[in-house]
Amino acid sequence: MAVTRETLLAFLSKKTRADLSKIEDGAELFSSGVVDSFVMVDLMMWLEKQTGARLNPADVNLDNFDSVQRILAYAASRAR
Amino acid sequence: MSGKPGIVVLGSPRSGTTLLRRLLDAHPNIACPPETYLLSAAARFLHADQFAAGLRIGVLDGLSFAGFEEAEVLARLRGLTFGFLRDYAERVGKPRWAEKTAFDAFHLAEIRRLCEGHVKFICIQRHGLDVAVSLRDLVDKTGGYVQELHDYVRRYPEPLEAMARAWIDTATAIAELADSSEDAISLRYEDLSADPAAQMQRVFEFLDEPWDDELVGRALAGTGQVGFGDWKTYARSSVDRSSVDRWRSLPEPVQVKLAQICNPTLERLGYARIESDDDEDDADAARRRYEFGLLLNRMKNEDS
Repeated sequence: MAVTRETLLAFLSKKTRADLSKIEDGAELFSSGVVDSFVMVDLMMWLEKQTGARLNPADVNLDNFDSVQRILAYAASRAR
Repeated sequence: MSGKPGIVVLGSPRSGTTLLRRLLDAHPNIACPPETYLLSAAARFLHADQFAAGLRIGVLDGLSFAGFEEAEVLARLRGLTFGFLRDYAERVGKPRWAEKTAFDAFHLAEIRRLCEGHVKFICIQRHGLDVAVSLRDLVDKTGGYVQELHDYVRRYPEPLEAMARAWIDTATAIAELADSSEDAISLRYEDLSADPAAQMQRVFEFLDEPWDDELVGRALAGTGQVGFGDWKTYARSSVDRSSVDRWRSLPEPVQVKLAQICNPTLERLGYARIESDDDEDDADAARRRYEFGLLLNRMKNEDS
């Protein structure tokens, strides 16, 4: 299943209990503390379910996970 | 003395019993000392073991062989425990005593045996996951488990589950008392902390004591008395609601697990079920979650 901006923001908003619908796509999520470690782990579990592909350990870095834009790009690269 | 019965406060530990104690003690007719442990000590005195043959082994049965009827033993024990409380009330110049010790809730069967028909009970309930989180904090601060909690930790190696199980047993026993006795009133910590005046008016009406509008302010101003109880509450001069719904900050998998354990009791007590879209992790998912945690830790270290 493709990960869209809407589904990603809905997931992150639910997990962080904050309305992230207006967040800019390039805004830092993890580095800024908007998303904590627990939610980040939930996100990785969720991405694996959505894309049907296992995340490579080497891919777990800020380049792939620190903004909506980067997460969407990474998810698109992993989608089967 | 007014001749009105004594008052016993019952709640799971960390349910707001110390706040309730301060509010009761602010009444001009009621003296509620810091925790005395009198009733839990009396409960231990009454404790009996029962084995397969059905024979109870304890003080009541032991003394019955020596010719002392149960009613007499209970009356003597009541005289001893209530006597301390009566003397305390007299010493501070008030006609009526109240007793609150947080861990009494673990000894409810024996306390009912001793007290029912002789006291008024005030029962306080709080959301079970908030109780579990607060008990975990208490254990962290004290550095160990009191006997009543240690019994649960021995059975349930995950501390939060152990605390949640302790809450289920105590909250259920208290709810059964509140449901079955005309001498009991029940309130919730969430309501008490939101509107202490409204809740305490109910309580004092039940106790047949007059209400005055200055009582809550007087209770919260009185931070000078020291003794056993919730140390945070003793230092506060206002009601702090920041601890309501603290359980929502628990990681989702922990919430899911505790919800499965606590939901039936939460519903019985009138709290909303904890709903979650997520199922509890199976072994593979739990392992994967652990792996992601390690990778995330590495990512944080690389970033710093």
